[in-house]
Amino acid sequence: MSHVTINFMLNGENITVTTRTNYRLLDILREDLGLTGTKEGCGIGECGSCTVLLNGRAVNSCLILAGQIESASITTVEGLENEGKIHLLQQNFLKYGAIQCGFCTPGMLLSAYALLNENPNPTESGIKEAIAGNLCRCTGYKQIIEAIQKTAEEMNL
Amino acid sequence: MIPSIDFIQPKNIEELLSLLNNFPDESCIIAGGTDIIPGMQQGASRFKKFKRLIDIHHLPELKLIKVEDGVLIIGAGVTFSDIIKSSLTQNHFPLLTKAASSVGSVQIRNRATIAGNFINNAPCADSVPPLLVYEAMVRIHSFNNQYDIALKDLLLKPYQTKMEPNEIVTQISLPILSETYRGEFYKLGRRQGVAISRISIAVLIDIHQSRIMDIRIASGAITPIGKRFPELEKFARQKKLEIKLLKELARKLGKEILITTGLRWSTPYKLPVVQQIFFQLLSNITK
Amino acid sequence: MKSTFSIVGTHIIREDGLAKVTGRMKFAADYNFPDQLHAVMVRLPLVHARIIHIDFSALANHPAITTICDANDIPGAKKVGPIRKDQPVFSYEKVVTAGDVVAMLVGPSKEELIELRNKIQIDFEPLPVLTDTEKALQSDSPLIHPEFKNNLIIHYPLRKGNVEEGFERSDFILEQIYKTPFIEHAYIEPEAVIAIPLEETGGIKIIGSIQNPFTARRVVADVLNFPLTKVRIQQAELGGAFGGKDDTMNILAARAAIGALKTNQPVKICYGREESILESYKRHPYIMNYKVGFNKNGKIQAMKIDILADGGAYASMSPFVTWRTVVQATGPYEIENVWTDVRAVYTNNPYTGAMRGFGSPQPIFAQESLMDEIAIKLDRTPDEIRKINGLKTGSITASGQKLEDHDVNLIHVLDTAVKNSGYTKKWLNNQLRHQSEKSRYLFENNSIQDIKSFLLNDTDFIDSDSSLRKGIGLALSFRGCSLGAEGIDAAAAYLSVQPDGSVYLLSGLAENGQGLRTTFSIIAAEVLGISVSDIFYLELDTGLIPDSGPTVASRSTLMGGGAVKAAAETVRHRFEKFLQKQWQESKAIIFKDRHVYSKNKLNRKISFAGLCNLAYQNGINLAAIGWYAGPKVDWDEATGQGPAYFTYVYGCQVAEVTVNIVTGEVYIDRVIAVHDPGKVINILGAKGQVYGGVTQGAGFALWEEMNTNDGKIQELNFDQYLIPTSKDIGEIIPIFVEGKDQHGPWGAKSLGEPTLELTAAAIANAIQNATGHRYFNLPLNLEEIILNRKLRAEKFGRGSHV
Repeated sequence: MSHVTINFMLNGENITVTTRTNYRLLDILREDLGLTGTKEGCGIGECGSCTVLLNGRAVNSCLILAGQIESASITTVEGLENEGKIHLLQQNFLKYGAIQCGFCTPGMLLSAYALLNENPNPTESGIKEAIAGNLCRCTGYKQIIEAIQKTAEEMNL
Repeated sequence: MIPSIDFIQPKNIEELLSLLNNFPDESCIIAGGTDIIPGMQQGASRFKKFKRLIDIHHLPELKLIKVEDGVLIIGAGVTFSDIIKSSLTQNHFPLLTKAASSVGSVQIRNRATIAGNFINNAPCADSVPPLLVYEAMVRIHSFNNQYDIALKDLLLKPYQTKMEPNEIVTQISLPILSETYRGEFYKLGRRQGVAISRISIAVLIDIHQSRIMDIRIASGAITPIGKRFPELEKFARQKKLEIKLLKELARKLGKEILITTGLRWSTPYKLPVVQQIFFQLLSNITK
Repeated sequence: MKSTFSIVGTHIIREDGLAKVTGRMKFAADYNFPDQLHAVMVRLPLVHARIIHIDFSALANHPAITTICDANDIPGAKKVGPIRKDQPVFSYEKVVTAGDVVAMLVGPSKEELIELRNKIQIDFEPLPVLTDTEKALQSDSPLIHPEFKNNLIIHYPLRKGNVEEGFERSDFILEQIYKTPFIEHAYIEPEAVIAIPLEETGGIKIIGSIQNPFTARRVVADVLNFPLTKVRIQQAELGGAFGGKDDTMNILAARAAIGALKTNQPVKICYGREESILESYKRHPYIMNYKVGFNKNGKIQAMKIDILADGGAYASMSPFVTWRTVVQATGPYEIENVWTDVRAVYTNNPYTGAMRGFGSPQPIFAQESLMDEIAIKLDRTPDEIRKINGLKTGSITASGQKLEDHDVNLIHVLDTAVKNSGYTKKWLNNQLRHQSEKSRYLFENNSIQDIKSFLLNDTDFIDSDSSLRKGIGLALSFRGCSLGAEGIDAAAAYLSVQPDGSVYLLSGLAENGQGLRTTFSIIAAEVLGISVSDIFYLELDTGLIPDSGPTVASRSTLMGGGAVKAAAETVRHRFEKFLQKQWQESKAIIFKDRHVYSKNKLNRKISFAGLCNLAYQNGINLAAIGWYAGPKVDWDEATGQGPAYFTYVYGCQVAEVTVNIVTGEVYIDRVIAVHDPGKVINILGAKGQVYGGVTQGAGFALWEEMNTNDGKIQELNFDQYLIPTSKDIGEIIPIFVEGKDQHGPWGAKSLGEPTLELTAAAIANAIQNATGHRYFNLPLNLEEIILNRKLRAEKFGRGSHV
């Protein structure tokens, strides 16, 4: 049994994919669907650059096998926009200098997005915990944390 | 790279047990995948023999958390995030909540399951010390059998338990303790964020009129597998609580650990540190 | 010099930000071409071995294999290297390190190629392995590269004054040895490259995570025996480099090119993390012997320095890295008598090369620790000792260069850092505290045999209230800007104004993720009086812009920015001349707020877009290539004397830590980073450099080390090699002091490396201040803090750190 057919929701749309059984969710996104926004940095769930949302929760897509996403709802960085308009979180990442090389950015955004959905008023410590599984080598995290804080403040107005 | 082996998703427990019964030796059960997938990617030898992965992460029967007759039942497939969020664990088993919060990252906790953690039985498995002091019972199912076994009797050696290839864990149960018990879970890693345990300790203590009525101590990451210390606990019971005793207990813990592990590369660091930590934990709990 | 700026120094959002934040930005691994093949590498399981025979017969005619490439497929140079050509693209006589590749399998399915790798039979003869740098120059040690007569890669001497006399004059002498380990760049994006054969010309196009496209082009051309123009390198968006995507990427580009030309199909190489760590080069481990003589009044009389760098299996950039070390090893201090020797040697360890800092973080750790020791010995404060010895305008450096023509702000940044952190008082309070409590370091010398010493006595126990100690520490540095006497230092920029007022811009310096495209856009916008959003930055393609040297040495703003400013000024000057003629005007023309007007008569005004159209209609050339060359610098190889760099930057960082003296944990509460990088062009980017650099420096201080076991790396992924997470560092406060300088665009110089090079030294000094105990071996991890030594597991497994 080398292939599997899965039905799932991706960024709000129902799709069906037939793919290899040993493909990870990360491979389905990048190879089968050409959605290269989600990245591979380590392959073992340490760096978080492959982070997506599965049923609203942040997960490492490099640790999920194809068959395991049947009927799940997946959100990737490509799904954060709404009809061409970027999310406030994305705007604030730009505004506060939270991006340098940009490789960790998609994963960071999704971890932040999941956090704000669950806790609209996080403390600085809560933000740090939410992104502790997203490694960044460029920014030192400071401007990323600020962007998330400002987004929470603006969303709560 | 994940090898191209078969992937099967049984629809329910019966189907799962039947599968295991028919193909016990080549089947690897996968739930959260947070240990198995990195292991396969890195070519770990203990995964080389498997011909199929059986996925159980979606099975609803394994996801319950409920209290029944003074016992908390946690399904094998409950994730660490679910444990953290449950008021039942927060209220009755705070050491488990704390250990769960310390596992990996948010992403890992959203997938990793409690049973997966102790079945994989890495020396640093964070769920084990709290489950040992809470005296968790593990329910094991196979195609035509079912039994309960204490967690401490289930764990054998690093990455190995007593489980047979055709068996699965369906749930664990933790008897709710009297409110007089106080305790702490402590974990030491190299980093503040996403750290693998180098030393972990869970301790529960019940004091009445300055005497230790009950004490339960479990270590993780400093011994090959998580363990309790029955002789030390026996020694401590009925003793009067005083600083001198706490130091003696800490020293005895050190001795017991040394007997268990022998001299290891990490001993010059870990042994003095674990004694200090344990003394501090006891002092803080009993203040 | 401009005194008020419209855009320079203001908060400008990155021009590439939108694509990055939506996931649209393509990194090298995101490119796919129809018909593409994958390539996987074949290696030996040994670190040093002679290759006798490789038997591919089991793979013969296998449908999953399109071709196999090895050294026999190379028409040109079989060995490459930035200085010594000692690194084979495919190893063919022997392997000298674990990452060496002997062959490459090419085919449509990467997965199948990986499985087929196991079927290859390799006959080899193990050779003795050299891993100890201190033995590398002994005559009985294995010779890594037989074509050289010994394992010495380079030796730089520096001789100033007379050290023996200096020591004799000294009231005190201190001698110490400091050590730092292999460090991994740990860019989050692993290496990826794809080579596409160009059918019409027979040339090759390469897209990859390539830090220095012009270097890659030269290497690929040498290997293929092609003229430079037949090789087109397009730099994909880089997911971090920090100096690490140079040599490795040049070789991967060459391998992919060989495969693509052999199969006539695109060939893609995409590394996972383990392979990236296995093969890519690291920061040099240093063993540093320092001897310093000083007087009661705090003035240093003499310094003798001996540094040994592990160059690993290939020379790579070792000669340049160690050259910077020899120039800067004394630290930013005026010392009359200096005797320095810096050597790099070959071993079978992973090879070492460029990494952010480039030979500075290691000696700064040593020299700044030593300066604090001098202070303690003399019962003075560390900032006092820095002030007494620190470089000022007119000072002579160790290499005999007089510092002038720019604001020598060393003492100014020191004072600023001390003032903003309350350093002196805090430091003194903590020092006094040590004197009144006994040392808690009971386990320093316990031998592994003495089991009883591991069990605590009653008096050994420490209350949790007493476990934490606070400390403050500082570190001071100066840094020569750009390549110095190392190499040709010039850069180009291409600016093409369009008839509608929009502008194309391209620098020959490659973006590494730090935001230099934005910085360059700011410079161009400032000169032309337009907005950054009017500027469209082009993709870096070696066919479109002259070779501007590598993006290294924090030279981008200085050199690249200088070229952009030159290009923009060239076009502006043409516009000015044109308008002056049109308007019959002799006064200066102002370019501001997307408009252009005469200084004199404000009713003579035109929009910038209008001007462009008008000029275009009148046949004015709207494009220019700007060129910026560094002034000539000099170096005498025998004496180590000469004006090594044409200008310098200065930095001071103060770190405040909390040390848990029971566990050895160190928490970084706050780092105040004061830097004089010259003029700050891109403030958002500049702050980002401080936050990022300090965080990397913290990693160097406390957690990062790559251990080798007989030359094999133990930490192959991020579960073992620990870089800081969001939870691992506290507050970072950047403060910029903008010193004046005649060089660079409005005096803008360098920031990228100064921010990283100081942090570990500041943290180490803070830990001493917290504990009363000094440490000499980075990283200052748990065992080092408690036991004063490192403990090593015999073998590493995932999570099995018992």
